[in-house]
Amino acid sequence: MLAKYIARRFLASVVVVLGVTAITLALMKTTSGSYVPGIDLNPALRPDDIARLRADLGLDRPGWQWYATWIWGVLHGDFGHSMIDGSTVMSHIGDRLPNTIELTATAIVIGVLIAIPVGIIGALRHGTKTDHTMTVVSVAGFAVPQFWMGLILILVFSVTLEQHGLPWLPSSGAYSAVNGGDLIDRIEHLILPATVLSFFYISTWSRFIRSSMLEVLSQDYIRTARAKGMSERRVVYLHGLRNALIPLITLIGLELPGLVSGGLVVEVVFGWPGIGKLAFERALQYDYTTVMGVTFFATLLVIAGNLLADVLYGVLDPRIRYGS
Amino acid sequence: MSREEDADDRGFAQFERFLDAWSRRDFLKRAGGAAAFMAFSGGVVEFLQACAGSSNNNTTATVKKGGHIVEGNFTDIRTLNSMLSSDTASNQVIGLLFDGLTNQKKDGTVIPAVAESWKTSSDGLTYTFKLRSGMKWSDGQALTADDVKFTYALAYDPAYKDFASPRRGDLSKYIKSIDTPDPLTVVLTTTQVYAPFLASHGQYGILPKHILGSMDAKALNTADYNNNPTVSNGPFKFVSWQKGQQVTVGRNDSYYGGAPNLDQWIYKVLPDSVAVTNQLKTGEIDIGPIDPGQYDSLTGTQTVARSEFPVPTFTFYAYQLDPNKPAGPLFQDKAVRQALLFALDRNSMNQAIYFGHATAADSVEPPTSWAYKAKPQVLYPFNKAKAESMLDAAGWTKGTDGIRAKGGTKLKFTMITNAGNKQRESSLTYMQQAWHDIGVDATPSLIQFPQLVSQIVDIRTFDVFLVGFNWSVDPDEAALFHSRNTVPGGFNGFDFKNEQVDAILDQALGTLDQAKRKQLYGQFQDIMSDQVPAPILNFTHGIWGVNTRVQGTDFGPFNQYQFRPWLKNVWVTDGK
Repeated sequence: MLAKYIARRFLASVVVVLGVTAITLALMKTTSGSYVPGIDLNPALRPDDIARLRADLGLDRPGWQWYATWIWGVLHGDFGHSMIDGSTVMSHIGDRLPNTIELTATAIVIGVLIAIPVGIIGALRHGTKTDHTMTVVSVAGFAVPQFWMGLILILVFSVTLEQHGLPWLPSSGAYSAVNGGDLIDRIEHLILPATVLSFFYISTWSRFIRSSMLEVLSQDYIRTARAKGMSERRVVYLHGLRNALIPLITLIGLELPGLVSGGLVVEVVFGWPGIGKLAFERALQYDYTTVMGVTFFATLLVIAGNLLADVLYGVLDPRIRYGS
Repeated sequence: MSREEDADDRGFAQFERFLDAWSRRDFLKRAGGAAAFMAFSGGVVEFLQACAGSSNNNTTATVKKGGHIVEGNFTDIRTLNSMLSSDTASNQVIGLLFDGLTNQKKDGTVIPAVAESWKTSSDGLTYTFKLRSGMKWSDGQALTADDVKFTYALAYDPAYKDFASPRRGDLSKYIKSIDTPDPLTVVLTTTQVYAPFLASHGQYGILPKHILGSMDAKALNTADYNNNPTVSNGPFKFVSWQKGQQVTVGRNDSYYGGAPNLDQWIYKVLPDSVAVTNQLKTGEIDIGPIDPGQYDSLTGTQTVARSEFPVPTFTFYAYQLDPNKPAGPLFQDKAVRQALLFALDRNSMNQAIYFGHATAADSVEPPTSWAYKAKPQVLYPFNKAKAESMLDAAGWTKGTDGIRAKGGTKLKFTMITNAGNKQRESSLTYMQQAWHDIGVDATPSLIQFPQLVSQIVDIRTFDVFLVGFNWSVDPDEAALFHSRNTVPGGFNGFDFKNEQVDAILDQALGTLDQAKRKQLYGQFQDIMSDQVPAPILNFTHGIWGVNTRVQGTDFGPFNQYQFRPWLKNVWVTDGK
């Protein structure tokens, strides 16, 4: 049953990938801009140069023709070359992916480790000052834009601390420009962006766990467990938490594509050389091939993340069955 | 219940008690402490800023060898192939790795580089370059006239027509042939006299024929060498390019000018101009361009010296002059174009928007050019009353809503520029207000930069656009103002067509005598000051921040990004 279910989902995903990439191209084509080689308004660049360079890249042809050529390449495992720098799209993704995974995975782990206890505490002590404080902090986590929080952290923990002669944290990049790249150096660079990104995860997930926990703890079987004289710890963790975590699986499953694209804003603010920043910059420069490659890749991950969450649901919750 | 579980339950209870205590008492104390610290640190920063001054950059101390420099900028490079590159960031890093036939001083004077000397034939058609002897590529191979010929062939020879060089248009038009009578001589024959040839086309980084010569044009477009130029001839040689993060280059011991003082030069990609300023403060970068809006925030930083100078870049807005476009009819009358310019107080715009780090413009040639005419025929000092009377005289009278109209058509249009450029955004806001004051309804609209470029070169449905333009050493401005560049793809997207201007620009391009050219460009500036199809608002300044540990840099109008003949002399006082 499960195999059949996965097979059907896979077929549906082909349609989704085609749709998403076609819409991406259509959107880029309709925004009344185009790839221009001399992006700096270079006076030495002549009109015929611009026309020739565009034609070399197939941009003089209608969008659907370009798309057909692109799909044909993808079916043969060729995502093409970036229009901006001529290197292959796969090499770009390969260069940036480890950085993005490093950042997002760290943020997700921190997020889970903090959100679960915070959510439990909020549920167990709901209505108290502790709960209200956590609610305020969580709402701030949704409400404060990530770019703003990033800038403030840079100002305080990088610029201000440095000017006071105190230990400070680097404000951009994944490692130091000179002699960088060892473990300590990478962790130092990771702290600020991972803090901003995980703050968002903590805010979201802790609220979910809190409400989910509250719901579970009001169930009859919890009352029964307590009535049996079971220790509070067993009631909360064994009977309560396990059931309360099920919705979280969906949320984290949905964050899987975030592993490649989730930290876009954070990556841009902190100059983190990841996939999100790549996609953002290349979209603004109309680097069609790179944007299409990243979109394709991100779409696959969204589908895989959803599928994984659905399958895990079945494993964790015996009430769920995969049928037609 | 087991003992272990009991112990765990006690832990749980303690944790709950801790939470109680924490939430009730300490939270307020902690919050108060944090607030006090923030207030304190804010005060200290201001105090430090008040004490500090700026320090000078060029001292006469003994030069130290070794060490590195990190230079920050906010764009990643695109390619390291000098014949493919057309953007400032790439050219900047290519300048570290490659030397061309010639280089230029900060005042724009062309100076020898790979070519030791050159002479121009009496008919102005042939350039004979004499190369330095004994030059070597970083892999030890000899650099000869064949490499020079190969480099230029990539952009003019029909055999390489599939090579995606942005230089092909110009080079294939002007180069007739290149001969190499001996390994140290290059004879370049042009198809016609073209005055800017040496200044504009003499400086492309020379590429190694022994590495690339065997590849065909298509393969060269995506050659590994473009991202990983293993062999170069400049002061530095390539080490690595971590895309989106940094490019690292190292000392080239076989550089013909002698090995540079520094071991490494790192080009670091930062998110934006605020990050450049922040990292100059923290010392994470040693060199970086400073946004006018960030200038004052560096006043308190003793470790950063700033240099500021005029550059050949102007900000201008252009009127839609094509009568077939919706706004075209509004601007056909010269009086309207002039009146709108009179209504702008460009000096106060410079103060308010560029914080004084720009110069109001009276001419279309930048003050850095030898052809600059400070006072062309018509000047436009701020004069609101004159602007209003000119519009009245031209028949544009105010209606009941306060907006001027003529024959039922309102003087109403939209102005576009690129979102994200704060100075340009603010300029449009200022213009909206200034023109509203004289009864003109102009609405700003912000679009992305590639869309703005498309509007200028292709689509051209705009009413008014505002943008900046960078010029090189030569005063030729045909790219913007010659009617031949009104074709699709050309930068004269505002459709300015003036036969007199065309004739002068063409004549100046075909004249080698600089005194004669200067006179022609003087006439050009006079006509443009009268016609004002695209008024120049200001000439911007180049502002560079350099850490005081760095010595030997000498930034100037024409030594900013790509051309830095002083690179090999730069050193760091701490040798690190």
